[in-house]
Amino acid sequence: MNPVSTLKTFEDIDCEFPKSLQSALELMADEKTRGQPLAGGTDLMVQWESGVIPIPDRAISVKNIPELREIRENGSNVIIGGSVTHMELRQSPIVRRWLPSLAEAAATIGGFQIQIMGTIAGNVANASPAADLAPSLLITDGTVLLASVEGEREVKLTELWTGYRKIDRRPEELIVSFNLPKLLDDYFESWRKLGPRKAQAISKVMGSSRGRISNGVVESFKVALGSVAPTAIRFFELEQWITGKPYSKETLQEAEQRSAALINPISDIRSTAEYRKWVSGKLVRCFLENLAGRSNK
Amino acid sequence: MNMAATTEVRERVKLVGLGVPRLDADEKVRGKAEYADDLNIPGAWHGFVVRSPIPHGRIISLTLDPGYDWTKVVVVTPEDIPGNNIVDMMGRDMPFIAHDEIRYLGEPIALVAAPTRKLARESAAHIHADIEELPPLLSLGELVDQYKKDRSSLHELSAQTIRKGDIDRALREADIVIEGEYRAGHQEQLYIEPQGMAAIPGEDGSIFIHGSMQCPYYINPELCETLDLPAEKIRVKQSAVGGAFGGKEEFPTLLAGYCALLAIKCKRPVKIIFDRHQDILYSTKRHPVWTRYRTGLKKDGTINGMKVDFLLDGGAYTTLSPVVMYRGILHSAMGYRCDNVFVDGHVYRTNTFPNGAFRGFGAPQAIWGLESHIDDLAKACGMAPHEFRLKNALKEGDTTPTGGVLRYSVGSQDVLAKTIEKSRFGEKLQNGSRGNPHEKKWYGIGMSFFAHGAGFTGDGEARIKAKVALDLEQNEEGRPVVNVRVSSTEMGQGTFTILPQIVADALSIDLDYVRCPYPDTLYVPDSGPTVASRTAMVVGNTVHGAAKKMKVQLEEYVSNEIMNAGDVYLADGQFRGPYETGRISFHEAGMRYLENNGPMRVYNQFSLPDYIHWNQKTFEGDAYPAYSWGCNVAEVEIDPLTLELNVLKVTATYDIGKVLNPVLAMGQIQGGLVQALGYAVMEKIEIVDGKFDASRMQTYVIPTTLDIPEFDLDFVEFPYEFANPGAKGVGEIPMDGLAPAIANAVEQAAGVRLRELPMIPENLFAALHETETYKI
Repeated sequence: MNPVSTLKTFEDIDCEFPKSLQSALELMADEKTRGQPLAGGTDLMVQWESGVIPIPDRAISVKNIPELREIRENGSNVIIGGSVTHMELRQSPIVRRWLPSLAEAAATIGGFQIQIMGTIAGNVANASPAADLAPSLLITDGTVLLASVEGEREVKLTELWTGYRKIDRRPEELIVSFNLPKLLDDYFESWRKLGPRKAQAISKVMGSSRGRISNGVVESFKVALGSVAPTAIRFFELEQWITGKPYSKETLQEAEQRSAALINPISDIRSTAEYRKWVSGKLVRCFLENLAGRSNK
Repeated sequence: MNMAATTEVRERVKLVGLGVPRLDADEKVRGKAEYADDLNIPGAWHGFVVRSPIPHGRIISLTLDPGYDWTKVVVVTPEDIPGNNIVDMMGRDMPFIAHDEIRYLGEPIALVAAPTRKLARESAAHIHADIEELPPLLSLGELVDQYKKDRSSLHELSAQTIRKGDIDRALREADIVIEGEYRAGHQEQLYIEPQGMAAIPGEDGSIFIHGSMQCPYYINPELCETLDLPAEKIRVKQSAVGGAFGGKEEFPTLLAGYCALLAIKCKRPVKIIFDRHQDILYSTKRHPVWTRYRTGLKKDGTINGMKVDFLLDGGAYTTLSPVVMYRGILHSAMGYRCDNVFVDGHVYRTNTFPNGAFRGFGAPQAIWGLESHIDDLAKACGMAPHEFRLKNALKEGDTTPTGGVLRYSVGSQDVLAKTIEKSRFGEKLQNGSRGNPHEKKWYGIGMSFFAHGAGFTGDGEARIKAKVALDLEQNEEGRPVVNVRVSSTEMGQGTFTILPQIVADALSIDLDYVRCPYPDTLYVPDSGPTVASRTAMVVGNTVHGAAKKMKVQLEEYVSNEIMNAGDVYLADGQFRGPYETGRISFHEAGMRYLENNGPMRVYNQFSLPDYIHWNQKTFEGDAYPAYSWGCNVAEVEIDPLTLELNVLKVTATYDIGKVLNPVLAMGQIQGGLVQALGYAVMEKIEIVDGKFDASRMQTYVIPTTLDIPEFDLDFVEFPYEFANPGAKGVGEIPMDGLAPAIANAVEQAAGVRLRELPMIPENLFAALHETETYKI
């Protein structure tokens, strides 16, 4: 009833504020100085307070490390530092131009206070199936750069989430940046979030797509949904199936059914398994319809 | 004699009916208002409640960890209670601290206090109860299943019927009989300020309770037996309250009791301030409801008879549930002409936190079913929803289901006609999509019509006889001021503004001279609790009477002691004698009075008109002295792709009697409609493993500003002339009718009727997939 673990308070946390990535990585290298990486704290503090995860002894704040705060173009890619906030994502002309669904997704997370504090690395590392940035990252086929004092390691985003609330990060590593291919000309993205209300909502189901329809044929279509499985997922089987198909009523109908059949969601406090399965198919249909509508223009 | 004969007298503007700014706005906007957790109580310890981890069982033993250092904290167990271990509410079935049977998860099994909140929580973790588990009854669903099978197996907390005419014959002789079942779950009040209370022991053995509450005079008598103290040794004062909505009606007695028991044992002040999580888990909610209607109709749309089963989930103890059920059954067949009515009301025990007061107090639960059902009735006899309502709505001279006659102030027809016209209901009804698969968005429009009984239910006002006092005193700046001494509380709804408006008008003085101090049982008589939309009508009328008495006394004083001039009257802030030159300001006369006589106190007491008769046993007669009336029209849009529901617009008209302050009254309507919107379409909280699942603001979802529809709202004024200045009550009625109006609109949009609240897309999905026509 009154678990002793909740008796620790935030004030008991020994929090370090390293000023450079190198000093942060040095702290992370040694088990004695290592701490919970802490960016905006918008996910962690809620879970600490509610006892979902124990309040740690040590934390390493990465929010204000300059190397983690950049957004820049690098040829056909965009580099986004791990400590870039949701507010920066939604406001950045680079992100809005080249990764529109990521900007849109960031704009639906929490309220302004959360968007000003919360970060892209935090959203990813918290690894909630309802992490709103995950589908928009997944559809880019981009990578994430992790670092430790030993060196850097690049991981495909499609392989980053390994299970419910798990990512492929070693204890001594920090998330440095995301390397995301830009949206090409004649390609379009869509984002849609279903929540229990119009703002400040945690998703029931949400997702993103990126693709191109040319001369009535689906040339490319990448789609990812969140809150329908232990992690946000790409619909690879559907993508393979639909590539090269004519855009038609029949294709839409089958895409909807195949999508729903691909997932096996759960019932929880936010929605039911039946509705999630059904509406996932509808979202995929909606993305294809959007894509067709914009491709024709 | 120093008379202000030459100053120009400006004519005073009447304040009643004017949207004067709230008198408590300044202290709240500047952050000066002291809420329970802001109170500076030197030496106060923090209390914490040790709670049962299971919903039903029997305590075998309670153990304090022998390895823990208990010298730094104080523990209260049932043996420490000075009086009887009973919360003296209706039913008297609830102990302050469980000593035998555990009836809900979270029931107190011990109390602890310590110098810090952290230490209090830590020590609580070292108290262990050995509890033999018993099978719990946890949900409305289980309750209804059992009720239909064999209701004798259920534990009944209260029951009441209403009988009018001959229901069996009416149903037999009907052309059509329509049935329907409706249910709704818990709703959390979610006031901004969580529950908080402090108890400060006095050297003379008295106890001072100070904190967040609606009803100081509930706490006072309800603690006497437990603390074994006479009423005069228990002083109760309200701190600033950040919202209540009924959630601080009866519950604060429990918190006050915990604080007081701890304070008595540790001989120092003790306070308990809930965080949001504790507040949602361990405070009262709206009663879940199940209703079943069986209505007989004539082909022409006349209602022959209405038979209603009304069932509430009371939670673990009786508390206020009987009265919630009474208001529920009184509203479950109200609003329409019908000579044959039978309502069968029950409250049953479940092993959940006792359910309690929440804005509307049973009426929203009743009207949710009734107004959904009315649309089905209209449909059955081929009438449009508004035509059926216009035909059957009660009007002046008609009788209610309890046989009470609607004598005065009946705005029923006007709210209906105005709302139908303004919303262009008849025309827009034709646009309903009814689940058409070829439409990109489904549109629907729906309506509801309802009454809300003003003031206490049944014999409540007659029993309580609201008492008020007005004190003419000097304030801290030395000015004369009239302090309104009532136990009515300000909790955001505007009491501390409207009562001074009434008093200032009745005395014909400036508002600057009138104030409502926070109620303190040391200074205020018992005006009854701040509930049941009764304050404006009942307490407003009583302070109006008190002010008239004070006016006469002041006029006599000025006539006899100052002017020596026969008939003196007070108007526009000036006492005037019979001669044109003789004038003295209220300010000056007040100062003179206070210097020579000291403070003046005037009392008054509320009484009902003689023609009001009520039989509390048979539920016959005038259940309420008057009714407020309302009509809601909701327009909705549904995305057929995702079944997301968007409430576009709400058009509504209310008759709340005389509108005392149109700005505050409109605020009540808007806020209440938003709360009703949450109840209708999103607020969902269920019991999982005996515990409320949505126990944080992260999971308990209420509307944001983006969810609020366009509002087109109006009043029509039918003042209640018996109770000058004629208000009938506005607090609860906005909560009453929105859910069924939306359900009726959803039916027009999607072609299916939703029979359970909240109307979330998941429920619409399930309902649509039960129909033949809808396919994936």
